[in-house]
Amino acid sequence: MRDANNSWQLFCTVFKHEGRVLLADRTLWLVASLLLALLCYALFNGLAHTQARADVASVVLKKQADQQVKNLDLLNRMMAGKATPEPFANPADPASIGSGMGARYAVLPATALAPVAVGQSDMFSHYYQVTYRSKLNFMYDSEIENPWNLLSGHFDLTFVMVYLLPLLIFAVSYNLLSAEREQGTLRMLLSQPLGLRLLVLAKLAVRAFAVIGLATLVPVLVLLVIRPETREASALALLILWALLAGIYGLFWLALAAAINALGRSSAANALMLIGSWVVLVLVMPVLLNLVVGQISPAPSRTELATRTRLITIDGLNRYNKLLSTDYRYTDKPEILLPKDGKIEVPPRRKGAYLLQRDVDNEITPVLDQFDRQLAGQQALVERFGFVSPAITAHEGMAALAGNGSRRYMQFQTQVGAFHTQWKQYFEPRMMADTAIVPADFDRMPRFTWHETPKAEVRSDAGLRAMQLLLLTLALGGFTAWRLRRYPVV
Amino acid sequence: MSSKSTLRVPAWIARKDFSEYLRDGRLHWAGGLVLILLLTALAVGWQNQRAISGERAVAQKLDYSDWVSQNTRHPHDAAHQGMHVFKPEPPLSVIDPGITPYVGSTLWLQAHRQSEVKFRPAQDATGLQRLGQLSAAWVLQVLGPLLIIVLGFNAFAGERELGTLRQTLSLGITQRQLLWGKALGLLACLAVLLLPAGIAALVASLWGLTSELQMDTTLRLLGLGLGYGVYLLIAIFVVLAVSAWAKTSRVALVVLLGMWIVGTLMVPRAASDLARTLNPSPSRLEFASKMNADLHTHYQQAWKDNFGVDKRWGSDLPLNKWGVALQVDDHAGYSVTDKHFGDLWHAFEHQQRSQEWAGLVVPILALRSFSMGIAGTDFANHRDFSVAAEQHRRLMQDLMSADLVKNADSLDNKHFAYQADPKLWATVPRFGYQLPGVAAAFQNNLLSLLVLLAVLTISVLLARAACARRLL
Repeated sequence: MRDANNSWQLFCTVFKHEGRVLLADRTLWLVASLLLALLCYALFNGLAHTQARADVASVVLKKQADQQVKNLDLLNRMMAGKATPEPFANPADPASIGSGMGARYAVLPATALAPVAVGQSDMFSHYYQVTYRSKLNFMYDSEIENPWNLLSGHFDLTFVMVYLLPLLIFAVSYNLLSAEREQGTLRMLLSQPLGLRLLVLAKLAVRAFAVIGLATLVPVLVLLVIRPETREASALALLILWALLAGIYGLFWLALAAAINALGRSSAANALMLIGSWVVLVLVMPVLLNLVVGQISPAPSRTELATRTRLITIDGLNRYNKLLSTDYRYTDKPEILLPKDGKIEVPPRRKGAYLLQRDVDNEITPVLDQFDRQLAGQQALVERFGFVSPAITAHEGMAALAGNGSRRYMQFQTQVGAFHTQWKQYFEPRMMADTAIVPADFDRMPRFTWHETPKAEVRSDAGLRAMQLLLLTLALGGFTAWRLRRYPVV
Repeated sequence: MSSKSTLRVPAWIARKDFSEYLRDGRLHWAGGLVLILLLTALAVGWQNQRAISGERAVAQKLDYSDWVSQNTRHPHDAAHQGMHVFKPEPPLSVIDPGITPYVGSTLWLQAHRQSEVKFRPAQDATGLQRLGQLSAAWVLQVLGPLLIIVLGFNAFAGERELGTLRQTLSLGITQRQLLWGKALGLLACLAVLLLPAGIAALVASLWGLTSELQMDTTLRLLGLGLGYGVYLLIAIFVVLAVSAWAKTSRVALVVLLGMWIVGTLMVPRAASDLARTLNPSPSRLEFASKMNADLHTHYQQAWKDNFGVDKRWGSDLPLNKWGVALQVDDHAGYSVTDKHFGDLWHAFEHQQRSQEWAGLVVPILALRSFSMGIAGTDFANHRDFSVAAEQHRRLMQDLMSADLVKNADSLDNKHFAYQADPKLWATVPRFGYQLPGVAAAFQNNLLSLLVLLAVLTISVLLARAACARRLL
């Protein structure tokens, strides 16, 4: 008991002294202020990106609501005999309401933690305008973004944590022991009643406290202050998990620095080895895994998809040629634009166009499913082999916590696909049977509701990743402790 | 000292340095990794390029033959079926895929509206794609300078610590000779690594090309060689300058690594974000609503002028005017879409241009732009394709509408009953698009090359100044 007490006191003393030395040395100040500046800039970028996205979502939803009011108003006036509609913008005609005129938007809301990682949110759209036309007409819409910028990537919090934090940790720890030895102070230190392992542990603790503490606390505090939605219990849990994941990721790199110091080489050699492992783990591994995953589970050919689409379209044009060649009658008989006894004449040409699109959808679905399966396969491989690099584990984990990971976007697309089917099922019978749209229909039409990924799933995924990193960190710690026994002090 | 020894001394120094790099294993390990990555990147790039360009050429042919062999049909419906056009994959995407993963390659030319190029390969990849794609360009741009740092950080500083620098200078060797010798030594290391990769790249990109394209591609390859050569020379002289200036090799290493991190990782991302803030491009919603509003006014005017009606496709327009109406409507929209897409693309190019200037401080930005420009995988090439495809779509539309004016508008109310003779389809030519040639590529990317050359001059001057002042 006394021993433990004694060690703890020693640890505290070394911790205090080391802290003073670091502060006097200016390195820590420099690293901390640089880190702070990077964190603030990254958070600013993430918050601005999230805000821009929220603005778009609210404009889209407002547009939809306004359009519905307009449609209803026109329909009511038509029923009262006070207005005649345009042939291609007729609120009583299911062919008009089911396509552009009454189209509904499906919106993927940003999560509370969205500013943490831009992730895939600049690649995939977070809203789609769903009509009864084929999926192919809207599924590939994406946000407008300069491809050069997509290639560069964003300066977001995940970039700072995954790429830069390790380097800042190296800056304060690459010569943890080697400097003491090179300056001759290690000999002096160890002539005191102090073990080498305790010394290293205390030195590491000071650095962890300063750098990793700052890197995890600042974002958490900023988000809690600026984004009120992060204060809700479920979001708070995710925020804590983020801090945990980021903290352990930082500890991994600190442990690596310690392990390399324990090898007993010079400071310059340490720096080289650290930067070398960083290059391999952070730069090369993700690129190689991306390559391997693409080779094992390659995406089917998009060219093939285009060819298939064309063939199906040609078939459809032949099949529905009779409907498509029927002329519009509203020029002779303008009264057919108004509903009568709950019926309205849906122009055969529009029926033909719908059926054509429906057939394209039906036949193309298996091909599109193949794309989804291959992508899901790639994702599964990334998750299975992501452990080869802590950077992959952390990057994917943070994107998922922010709700901007690939998987959530795939879920969104699946749900939009289901909503699209529902929408078509609502309109197809009405179009084919010439049933007019009545005001009450507007409340009965399908609406898109986003079913969020279960929070428990997100939590366990992040927890698992944190555990993975922790295991690696502990293994490095064990190695360091073992190597330090044979450390050449002189 | 005779002029012969002015040349011979640097060669001696280079030889001595080179054998040291070999002996201490740095060249084996660091260089080996770079070489393996380079060759892997080339092999995979070559395989993808083969597969894609073969497939697209076949698809393009099939597409046109399907178009020509259509049955009798209403021309507007034929235009709805439309055609697909596929962007040819430039041969040098083997080396630098540029923005290829982030732009589509397929356009469906259909009636009514300019469409966007679809199917961005990055949408078929996982989030890992965003951490970088393995390509020879990426390896050279990002890892190239790091390799030079690892090899050369202690070129002067290390010798100073050992005391050999003093000895060497006491032999009467000038500082300038020493600098050239050290530079030559580093260059020799790079040559050993890059020559095999260069030959592999040459074979991979020229394989199976027509002789005309071979010429074009060879010139482009030489251009790339020049660009990357200048870039790596910049790295060599900066490394030597810092190594001469720093007191110890540890300081030299830390400073150089810091510069590398800032220059290759941080600034490119920050510059993109900054360019976007300074010169914002609209969101899709904003873009579409502005363009639609503008289109609406133009359409309205055109319909009023030509048919005296307020509404587009309203009940007031008799069906025997639909052919003319299609023509009028299409032409009213062309100038508007041209302006809006033009503005958007201009904003993109402006964002890129501003980053090329930033290349004066971080040369990777200038090189990246130069490299994808010469390889034919930059935005200018993509834009060229999009414009050509849109022109082809308009040609197809105009031919279809002209036929409707001639044959359907005379049928009174039987507009859609009209079925065109299959001979009509063949009046639309093939989409015989070719990517812009090598001359255009050099012309477009002169600025970035000049920026690189300017940085090289500055870095040579810096290295000489550092050697002259702080060598001992």
